[in-house]
Amino acid sequence: MSAILKRDLRAYFTSPLGYVFMAAYLIIMNGVFYALNMLTGKNNLTGVYSVMLYALMVLVPILTMRTFSEDYKQRTDQLLLTSPVKPAGIVLGKFLAAYLMFIISLAFTVIQVVIVSAVGTVNMAVVIGNYIAILAVSAVYIAIGVFISSLTESQLVAAIATLGVNVGLFLIDYSYELINLNWIKSIIYWVSLYRRFNTFYVGVFSVADFFYYVSAAAVFLFLTVRVLEKKRWS
Amino acid sequence: MIEVSSLTKTYGKKRGIDRISFTIGEGEIVGFLGPNGAGKTTTMNIITGYLSANSGAARIGGIDVLEDPLEAKKRIGYLPEQPPLYLDMTVEEYLNFIYDLKGVKTPRRRPHLEEICQLVGLTDHYKRVCRNLSKGYKQRVGLAQALVGNPEVLILDEPTVGLDPKQIIEIRNVIKNLGRNRTIILSTHILQEVSAICERVLVINNGRIVADDRPENLSALITGDRKLIYRVAGPRESVRRIIRSVEGVQFADVTVQAEKGSYDFLVEAKPNVDIRKPLFAALARAGYPILQIKSMDLSLEDIFIKLVDEKRKTSLPHNKQPKRAEAELSTGSAPEPEPGAEDGPPDSGGIPFAEAEEKDGEA
Repeated sequence: MSAILKRDLRAYFTSPLGYVFMAAYLIIMNGVFYALNMLTGKNNLTGVYSVMLYALMVLVPILTMRTFSEDYKQRTDQLLLTSPVKPAGIVLGKFLAAYLMFIISLAFTVIQVVIVSAVGTVNMAVVIGNYIAILAVSAVYIAIGVFISSLTESQLVAAIATLGVNVGLFLIDYSYELINLNWIKSIIYWVSLYRRFNTFYVGVFSVADFFYYVSAAAVFLFLTVRVLEKKRWS
Repeated sequence: MIEVSSLTKTYGKKRGIDRISFTIGEGEIVGFLGPNGAGKTTTMNIITGYLSANSGAARIGGIDVLEDPLEAKKRIGYLPEQPPLYLDMTVEEYLNFIYDLKGVKTPRRRPHLEEICQLVGLTDHYKRVCRNLSKGYKQRVGLAQALVGNPEVLILDEPTVGLDPKQIIEIRNVIKNLGRNRTIILSTHILQEVSAICERVLVINNGRIVADDRPENLSALITGDRKLIYRVAGPRESVRRIIRSVEGVQFADVTVQAEKGSYDFLVEAKPNVDIRKPLFAALARAGYPILQIKSMDLSLEDIFIKLVDEKRKTSLPHNKQPKRAEAELSTGSAPEPEPGAEDGPPDSGGIPFAEAEEKDGEA
């Protein structure tokens, strides 16, 4: 597992992909920070974090599109699947590589906290809670992306499908406000990745919601393992 | 070392391989010979655990590939049809990655990888990015990858494909050397390759094993030295008459007019007769010079047909595959044909003959 993690993480930095992701991510996040905090002089950073959710919707496909698709194309999946590593180890290695790449990018946004706390006061509890929440949500995004990538050997298809799923989730969330039926609302609440983030946005760290994200990520990783195992029977 | 028992794999309705069984002892170099699509790659993919069979089992050193995949995979080095390279890595990075991936413990890393590179002739390309390597060198990196960790079993799918003739000879020698202390399966559709490297040949066609023998025993077929093409300068009819009059010649006819005043004759000798000396003498007496002799290359299809055909005629006493015969019998598919009744059209493939041969052997 660690060999795959190392290789994939390294691959982000030896190809433009990692840099493209990081650059796009940081430009958007710092632009938002400039608009929401610098121009207005507010010290509340949660706005930035909630926009981050939407930015990741578009950016995560860049990060995950090649995880398995590229291996299928280069036939290196044959190497991985005939090496003494369990399918779960392969999936986890690839997932963690993408996840670490994201965490490295995320680390740069800590500068915003430093800037704000230099000129004003920051509610550190809220900021830390939000960072933990972002780490949980992004794990779901990335797990979805990895899963979709494991279904196709075309990186383009993987990227667009992941984007499609993310936008779909967003639209479902959007319809929450428009629908009056309570039972549909409660379904949407369970499916929507965004709805639950609101608790973090208002400054509450919800353990239940945190575990919701973690288990959602685990489900998609599990599905990916199943896809790999099923390949043997094709 | 490798035990395969009645593996069957279907792709939808199409049979990939059909009840393939064989056992390979330690230190053997075995060649899978067969045309494209015969089931060689499928068989290898199942042994290495990349695919699963619909039924049957594959064991490496007594370990079932399905039951304990990790232990089985540790013992195998696999070079797939297309070398599985990460094109963005250098050879050095790639081999180090493989070393980590396989969780190699025993030998020290640097000398181990250097030794492998020396063996397959990669030392000069150690720092180069895989993307920029030629097909032949990619193939070498693929082979190097299979060797990392000194696995006891090497499975090589068409290891010399895409190499130039010099590289082919080099790689064949490498494989031969490796075979001194390893069990090797390699697949090929090149006849000469089998006789050059392997101690044993499994001929596969349409998903079944058609023959399992030492290359010497198949060599008459594989080298095709009973059929020769003679280019003789002289008048067509009289040359043909002379050739036909030589003892031991079973068949002779003109194929084409090669150069002005000379013709190519296809000459087939009777079994176990060397006609070259008497033929030379006869043509020399008549004053017709031989310009060229070459043995006729047989296609794989010809080999299959001949293989099973000849075995059927001659092999009653020495049927070499009792195990497989049982497996075949248990299928009970085709009704037993009348002896000699299946001299069908040449394109009927090897299978009907194979079945006939099996059943003859069993009876």
